[in-house]
Amino acid sequence: MTAATRTYWLTEPCRIRRADNSLRIERPDDTRVHIPITDIRDLVLFDHADVNTAAFSLLNHHNITVHVLDHYGNYSGALTPADDMSSAPVLRSQSALTSNSEQRLAIARSLVHTTAANVIWALDTNLLANPLEQLTEQLAEASDTEQIMGAEGNFRRSSWEVLDTMLPPWLRLNGRTRRPPTNAGNAFVSYVNSVTYARMVTALRCTPLHPSLGFLHADTDRRRNTLALDLAEPFKPLFAERILRRAAAQKTLRKSDFESDVGRASLSNEGRKKVSELIRTELSTTVHHRSLHRKVSYEELIHLEALKIVRLCLEDTPYKPFRPWW
Amino acid sequence: MTEESDTGLGGVHIKYLLHCPRQLWLYSRGYRPEQRSDTVAFGEALDETTYTRRRTIDLGEAKIDWVTTGAVVHETKSSRTPTPQHEAQVRHYCLLLSRLGVNVARGTIHYPLIRRTVEVPWGDEARAHAEETERQAHEVIGSHQPPPRLPRKQCRGCSYRDYCWGEL
Repeated sequence: MTAATRTYWLTEPCRIRRADNSLRIERPDDTRVHIPITDIRDLVLFDHADVNTAAFSLLNHHNITVHVLDHYGNYSGALTPADDMSSAPVLRSQSALTSNSEQRLAIARSLVHTTAANVIWALDTNLLANPLEQLTEQLAEASDTEQIMGAEGNFRRSSWEVLDTMLPPWLRLNGRTRRPPTNAGNAFVSYVNSVTYARMVTALRCTPLHPSLGFLHADTDRRRNTLALDLAEPFKPLFAERILRRAAAQKTLRKSDFESDVGRASLSNEGRKKVSELIRTELSTTVHHRSLHRKVSYEELIHLEALKIVRLCLEDTPYKPFRPWW
Repeated sequence: MTEESDTGLGGVHIKYLLHCPRQLWLYSRGYRPEQRSDTVAFGEALDETTYTRRRTIDLGEAKIDWVTTGAVVHETKSSRTPTPQHEAQVRHYCLLLSRLGVNVARGTIHYPLIRRTVEVPWGDEARAHAEETERQAHEVIGSHQPPPRLPRKQCRGCSYRDYCWGEL
């Protein structure tokens, strides 16, 4: 990944135009920002935006994906550039891998198991030892991906309950709800998870892989890409749980950052800015990578995860899902 | 002949073969992370901003920077140190051109950053050399297993490093 390119987070309604070879972002208060196109890795839209074809073709030419999140933080789609990175040899082995049910289940199991371990790591608790044991048993018995997802759901329910004990009452999840999220905590988790998914899509677009040939999630979820959903899974606790815990402890989030209605909640304008800021800082946090011998940001960890699947497809290197080592 | 120059080897293949056979193997199988590399972007920028009056010659897979009268093949490099890879790349271009029936004189590599040029002779010996390199490249591409990684020191600056060394 180019060190110079970066993700731009558009948290306000805006208009995206082309001005020669750069993008011009026009804000409602008539201020304009020019961004050189070579500086952009991708765009994340937290609010509505206008794009015209001139801007779109420029984005397309530079392989830039525009991720769109809806009002409740659900991932509602992307403007993706033409698929010119993909390569037939990689795709062939990717589809062979994902159609072999034994291999597919093995990877799905390890994904769920690692995610559970990551949740425990993120919550830094020993209250989840029992559910983890149950999960391990259920995973061994599971014979299709639905059962694996079921086992994961059971573990997740207990983990959300444990997370609730670390949050102030108004931010508690009281059970995970989606589409739309019912309360502030859920809205926050939805936003962060969507962004994690979007980061994974961007990472996969830098590889020859096809983002929809995956292992764990159902193939039929047409709006989203199975492989990106799968690989985002072990990263979700790293972002959602940890940032939520931290924001609660440091009192960064306030009630006014959310717009709560009966049975549905979303972030307010201010909240959106705050959350995108939190995620951005988190993504640029670095840790020392033991085999690359250099610091890597969390963003790059996501990229490295995608490369593991390329390695699996090209060289048959066994895939070990991401686990924090620090 | 056109068949071969379309599906055959470009300058990048030859350069990668000499830098690291593994890199060539991965490149030929479609893993191409260069688009995201700063070094490559710098090279492209330099190519675009130097010798702008000259025209690129497109031979399908290979793109020759430009050719002057008497069929001298020219190549621009953003590197500051001339290496055998660069010469091999130019020899490969000469080979491709001579196969198209051009009577190639020699090659010249330009290093605008250090303001130097390096001459690459073309003749029977150079031709044999180029053909041998081409054969080696085909051998690497045709193998089923990737060649091993090089010692770490030589991976410096390579855009494939994340792929090769990213496993914990």
